[in-house]
Amino acid sequence: MKNLLIKELKLASSPLSYIFLIAALMTLLPGYPILMGAFFICFGIFHSFQNARESNDVLYSLLLPVKKSDFVKTKFAFTCAVQLTGFALCAVLTALRMTALSGAQAYKDNALMNPSPVFLAFVLLLFSAFNLLFVGGFFKTAYKIGIPFLLFGIAALVIVAVAESLHFFSALSFLNTTSGEKTGLQTVFLALSAAAYCGITYLSYRTSKKRFELLDL
Amino acid sequence: MAVLEVKGLSKQYPEFLLDGISFSLEEGRIMGLIGRNGAGKTTTLKSIFNIVHKSGGEIKIFGFDMPGDEQKIKTLIGYTGGAINYYQRKKLKDIAAVTRRFYTNWDDDAYRRYLDAFSLNEEKTPLQLSEGMRVKFSLTLALSHNAKLLILDEPTSGLDPVSRAELLDTFTYLKGKGVSILFSTHITSDLEKCADDITYIAKGSLIASMPLERFLCENRAAGHGDTLEEIMVHYEKEDINEKLAD
Repeated sequence: MKNLLIKELKLASSPLSYIFLIAALMTLLPGYPILMGAFFICFGIFHSFQNARESNDVLYSLLLPVKKSDFVKTKFAFTCAVQLTGFALCAVLTALRMTALSGAQAYKDNALMNPSPVFLAFVLLLFSAFNLLFVGGFFKTAYKIGIPFLLFGIAALVIVAVAESLHFFSALSFLNTTSGEKTGLQTVFLALSAAAYCGITYLSYRTSKKRFELLDL
Repeated sequence: MAVLEVKGLSKQYPEFLLDGISFSLEEGRIMGLIGRNGAGKTTTLKSIFNIVHKSGGEIKIFGFDMPGDEQKIKTLIGYTGGAINYYQRKKLKDIAAVTRRFYTNWDDDAYRRYLDAFSLNEEKTPLQLSEGMRVKFSLTLALSHNAKLLILDEPTSGLDPVSRAELLDTFTYLKGKGVSILFSTHITSDLEKCADDITYIAKGSLIASMPLERFLCENRAAGHGDTLEEIMVHYEKEDINEKLAD
């Protein structure tokens, strides 16, 4: 598993997966749907899958004395490592906007989603959709990446649209408040989302493992 | 001692059936797996290596069950589908550095020796190598973990005559070192130069598996032809004019 992860980093992954982590900086953009940053982080990971496919990474890996299930586990581990790095960056920048930059003029009267625990919850939901639809979809064939990424793209747009719309309903306005008094409730939302991320990713891993075992390559 | 035993290997695809293939390869021998394009050679080799799942039959390698003892078996054998076609833009030294991590029996001296013998430059990428050199790098990786059985899928396809001759000489050298080799080909002259045994598959079924000399003698006596090529044509040729007229 450790050796497969090293193989992933040195041979299979694309530098774009790391470069696209810069998209976390979108958290600081005023008047912008900041959740798109999470989409671009996933787009960076997509490039590693594409690079691996063009490099015949699957065949090389299966000729090595490794378990097929470890190959699947490594792909998920790599994906989650990049996502959690992106999440950590988003979390730091969210904290910055909620504290030191809370009074900045550029962020006043923001009609779109503000950085908050709810924003971070939606980041994790978007990552969950990627793990389920793209990574899980990839392991149906171990080479087709177009349709799985299209499905994820559609899901991501729906998630962004929902995230940007919910707080306009008065009963749900607490989702976008930056006043601080609703931070506890927002954090509950984040905790539920984190649980969903873990559950969905694990489910996708289990399904992918079964699919990959049955594939003729 | 049989290093590879295949009994009743079958694989069912919607439009193709590999039907009950059986053969065995002894230690230090070279076996050619022949048949025309689409006969089932690659399916047979991939099934042996568990890259495709067999529908039936039994595979034993060094006495271990495939796929039951897959990890153990993979440390003992090397497989290549001809020229190396992975990580085309990575340097050979980077591919080798990662590969060696997976083998406890990796022999760095052997790796250096084969690099020198094959005149491979570690600073190059597979993309910068000729087809023949890429096959040699594949072999280098397999031999550096002291593989005792090499399974090669059409390693001589696409090679120029000189590279083919060099590769066949390499096979003969390795045989002298006790390495067993199973390689598929549809170039019959390759077999006549170096193979001890032959396994012949046509349309997914086994025609014969025996020592090459015996195969030639029996077929000459039956009037099927004098050379391997003539014998193969005898078994496989269809009346194309009749087909076109249909």
